[in-house]
Amino acid sequence: MGDAFEMLRIANTGLGAHQTWLDSLGGNIANVNTVRSTSQSAFQASFVVFAPRADGGVDVAGVAHSSAQGRLVSMPDSPLADANGYVRAPDIDMASEMSQLIMAQRGYQSSVQVTKTAQDTYNSALSIGEGR
Amino acid sequence: MSSMGIEAIGAATSGLSSLQLPGAPTVGATDTALTAGQAQAPTGPQGPSGDFGNLLIKSLDSVEAMGDKASNLSVQAATGDLNAIHDYTIAATEAQVATQLTVAVRNKAVDAFNEIMRMSV
Repeated sequence: MGDAFEMLRIANTGLGAHQTWLDSLGGNIANVNTVRSTSQSAFQASFVVFAPRADGGVDVAGVAHSSAQGRLVSMPDSPLADANGYVRAPDIDMASEMSQLIMAQRGYQSSVQVTKTAQDTYNSALSIGEGR
Repeated sequence: MSSMGIEAIGAATSGLSSLQLPGAPTVGATDTALTAGQAQAPTGPQGPSGDFGNLLIKSLDSVEAMGDKASNLSVQAATGDLNAIHDYTIAATEAQVATQLTVAVRNKAVDAFNEIMRMSV
């Protein structure tokens, strides 16, 4: 199919997709304590959706968001608390975010390994016929 | 860019490739000498250069484009405009491997040319 550097190009799409995932997870974790008043919608955690590319590799098909409802948490001391002492916290499962963080990191590292293998492969192809 | 050197190299490699692929219709001067029975006029170095010379020039252009891409991304990295680190590292790797490939092809072609020139007539 594609050109000589197809393996590198595909690894590049994997790296890009996993970087997007890592960015999104970073945003979710950073906002885990972002509370809003009950009159507003909660911070919505983003979930990156991957899809295969027609020409090989992976692409970010879109970003899904968690519920705007969030969770109602009793924080009477918060300046954002309503009359009943509630604030709206984001619906983020920290354990899941941390697990996904590891998965995304492993995925990124795997794509880096693909680039290393690709380079090794190209180098060994270049060495064909050498050393007479 | 169709200099004499590349054309001569093209002629030389065409002669060599005909030894590996006896069935392929080649027009190199050495090939016609081997197939003495056929009335196949040698077209000189212009014929084979269409294959190898153009291939080399095309690949040189693509190597140059890869180098340009990598250097643009390295400027972006220096100025802080780079969106993804791997964009640069992969472009640099591609440019590096493509340059190595071009050098390997050139070395092979020069080897083949020298081999032909060493041939005692």
